[in-house]
Amino acid sequence: MAPEYIIEMNHIRKEFPGIVANDDITLQLKKGEIHALLGENGAGKSTLMSVLFGLYQPEAGQIKKNGEEVKINNPNDATALGIGMVHQHFKLIDVFTVLDNIILGAETTGKLGFLKKKEARKKVIDLSEKYGLHIDVDAKVEDITVGMQQRVEILKMLYRENEILIFDEPTAVLTPQEIDELMEIMRGFAREGKSILFITHKLNEIMAVSDRVTVLRKGKYIGTVNTKDVTKQELSNMMVGRPVQLEIVKDVAKPKDTILEVEGLTVMSKIHKKEAVNNVSFKVRQGEILCIAGIDGNGQTELIYGLTGLEKATSGKVTLCGKDISHGSVKVRNEAGMSHIPEDRHKHGLVLPFTLEQNLVLQRFKEKEFHNKGFIKFDAIRNYALRLIEDYDVRSGQGPITIARSMSGGNQQKAIIARELDRNKELIIAVQPTRGLDVGAIEHIHSQLIAERDKGKGILLVSLELDEVMSLADRILVMYEGEIVGELDPKETTAEELGLYMSGAKKQGREQV
Amino acid sequence: MLRLDSETGKAKWYKNEGTKSIASALVSILIGMCVGMIIIILVGLAKPEISTKGIMEGIKIVFLGVFSTGRAAGAVTFGFNPVNIGNMLFRGTPLIMAGLSVAVAFKTGLFNIGAAGQYLMGTMGTISVALTLGNSGIPSFIVWILAFTAGVVLGALWGCIPGAFKAFLNINEVITCIMTNWIAANLVTWFFDINDQFKNGADGGKVGYTIPLSNVDVVTPRMGMDVIFKGSQANGGIIIAIIIAIVVYIVMSKTTFGYELKACGSNMHATKYAGINSKRNQILSMAIAGGLAAAGASLYWLSGNTEFFWSTYQTLPADGFNGIPVALLAANHPIGVILSGLFMAMLNIAGLQLKTLTAYNEYIADIIIAVIVYLSAFSMFFKEIMNGRKHKKGGKI
Repeated sequence: MAPEYIIEMNHIRKEFPGIVANDDITLQLKKGEIHALLGENGAGKSTLMSVLFGLYQPEAGQIKKNGEEVKINNPNDATALGIGMVHQHFKLIDVFTVLDNIILGAETTGKLGFLKKKEARKKVIDLSEKYGLHIDVDAKVEDITVGMQQRVEILKMLYRENEILIFDEPTAVLTPQEIDELMEIMRGFAREGKSILFITHKLNEIMAVSDRVTVLRKGKYIGTVNTKDVTKQELSNMMVGRPVQLEIVKDVAKPKDTILEVEGLTVMSKIHKKEAVNNVSFKVRQGEILCIAGIDGNGQTELIYGLTGLEKATSGKVTLCGKDISHGSVKVRNEAGMSHIPEDRHKHGLVLPFTLEQNLVLQRFKEKEFHNKGFIKFDAIRNYALRLIEDYDVRSGQGPITIARSMSGGNQQKAIIARELDRNKELIIAVQPTRGLDVGAIEHIHSQLIAERDKGKGILLVSLELDEVMSLADRILVMYEGEIVGELDPKETTAEELGLYMSGAKKQGREQV
Repeated sequence: MLRLDSETGKAKWYKNEGTKSIASALVSILIGMCVGMIIIILVGLAKPEISTKGIMEGIKIVFLGVFSTGRAAGAVTFGFNPVNIGNMLFRGTPLIMAGLSVAVAFKTGLFNIGAAGQYLMGTMGTISVALTLGNSGIPSFIVWILAFTAGVVLGALWGCIPGAFKAFLNINEVITCIMTNWIAANLVTWFFDINDQFKNGADGGKVGYTIPLSNVDVVTPRMGMDVIFKGSQANGGIIIAIIIAIVVYIVMSKTTFGYELKACGSNMHATKYAGINSKRNQILSMAIAGGLAAAGASLYWLSGNTEFFWSTYQTLPADGFNGIPVALLAANHPIGVILSGLFMAMLNIAGLQLKTLTAYNEYIADIIIAVIVYLSAFSMFFKEIMNGRKHKKGGKI
């Protein structure tokens, strides 16, 4: 008789200096099932998967495949056992093309060692068509969107024909339609007899696609349940350890004066020689959350770059708090009243080799409070950092002196949000502020944004997640191919209608607000 | 969730990055010395004229070169040798400055391989100003200051060139540095070629040397160095170099300016996002690096008793390039640079001692330096070993 489990991880223990990341964790994966792994940031999900993938050696415990104990010393061992993984932070080479990235490490070569790129290309294109994972095989990874990079990662695994597939937060950057497609693909895999480990914090997806769920909390094993036996609320309570507010509660917005006025903003694309943002106009008022919805890569990134001064706009006028900042530098814009929670927290948000406290004063170190004639007041920075860490619940190994790189994604994001909100500016631009975060952290960030709104701040939110758009926004603008194709009221519209605008199927002639 | 040492509130000393840097530098040095020792033994065994005693002497000199005092009764003797130690301080001065130059650039994310060219520009500035204004009635300490400043400014401007190419056109500074090195070499050669007033014609038969600055009495004060290290070339230059190193340390680690430079070096995108002028900072760090390398040249020539051989278009000054291992060995720490610079100078002196006191030649010291340079590039690797390799993937919390 075949063993019941294809992969068993029994009593895994993994320690890092000062912390037990995995404490006696057991995970059993059946052949052909979709098994979700649920837990907050820092619960030990990624560590556990890294153990399975051979990146870490556990201090205790054993791993079995088909009932036989195996030793996984490195990712090559894992690959040999048919284990493939899509990492949360992509492992791609920026200057290689999509095709090169996919075949890297699994190249098919002719007798003389030359690459058989044609065959590989065909296989990749077939796979991408079969599963609806649209990619441009000849584009360089550095030029494509985060969403497409994700698809490359998934294709990498498909290309290797792995039988045990680990998805680490795979849906974070996909559109609702793409998520549905991915869910379908995953079910297809399961039907083909492949086994899937699905790391996520999105309860909807777990309910929709998984067969069983294992919940971890703070490095400990909480339990494994059959998905059909539990509710979303029960799962989130298991994960967080306390009852969680799943629905966003907020009062009706009371918008006041206009803070930000954008007129005819046009920004050129860096990849293609055409306008990424084409003649866009809108206003943000005090006390409202204006959400820019749209599928990834429709000009949202460039719009924000143009607004914040990271890229030069070709034309258009931007007025912030009555001041014309169309040609102002980033600094001028910051000082005029702009806070910016950036889309890419590693590229723009943080200086990763710096400590947490150094990162928390990234814009403010030149303020009087933090220096005396050019000499840094280390005590002032330490105290400021300690206050932010306390107020915004930023968790890290060594507090203010933790190196930013060693913090978890959720806490890196919390640190950026702490820094930006505490600067107390009139306009808060938040680009995908909850990307890749878990329920607890999302709840926290959402309530903070609403609190800022209620304080009278204007909030410009860019989000790819329909749920977030529908529940957080007071007003929705939909962007499609660099233009704003619709303005919607979340109370009067549906997710389906929003989806039609996002995909360009619907368009409205829009009056200025 | 603070996880600091429960008693002191600080990270434990042996987990300190600085401790690890020092330890890894010492490991590099130790291995380099051992390789040198092995070479000495092998050469000694291969050459019949070198006895076992000769081998032992060779090893002793490599380790204690600056303390060798000559030969007495057929044996090499050791003790306090003011000449050697003074000369070590003298030769260490430009090495420290070049090391600081490379270290500052490294800290700001740039690789300054152009220290040699900046050194030459500093040489040109200092020597021409000192020789022109010396003996012209201006008090010599003012000429000294002007000559030093001219050298530093020229070097800083020379450093700006690769900085500007990097900032505005995103051209890798290594390429522009190599090019500006050779441009500087030819420019300096040409400059002294056409300016006869700087040529040393006094000593018959000497071609291609400039007049020593002691002739015009523009010389760094000895600051008591000649008393302590009698008979050596040591002068106040080493004290100035140490002061500059301390200033660099303070600027880089205690000021907002240093914070800004380092932030730009670590993540330009983030500094741009934060509204810091990263282009300006890149040019500034290269200017500082250039000024530091040039200051090394100025201090060297202002010692007075050295003559500059100005046909440099064929070879670039080694001191410029030796700044790289000096900085690497010190893990780019300005205070560490003082020690690693002096250490390099010490090996140099040991090489000379090998030549004068034993049957070996001075190139063994060069081999040891080469091995250390090689290993200092591995200092990251040693650090990782000391971190127990557990941190390899960064324990996420």
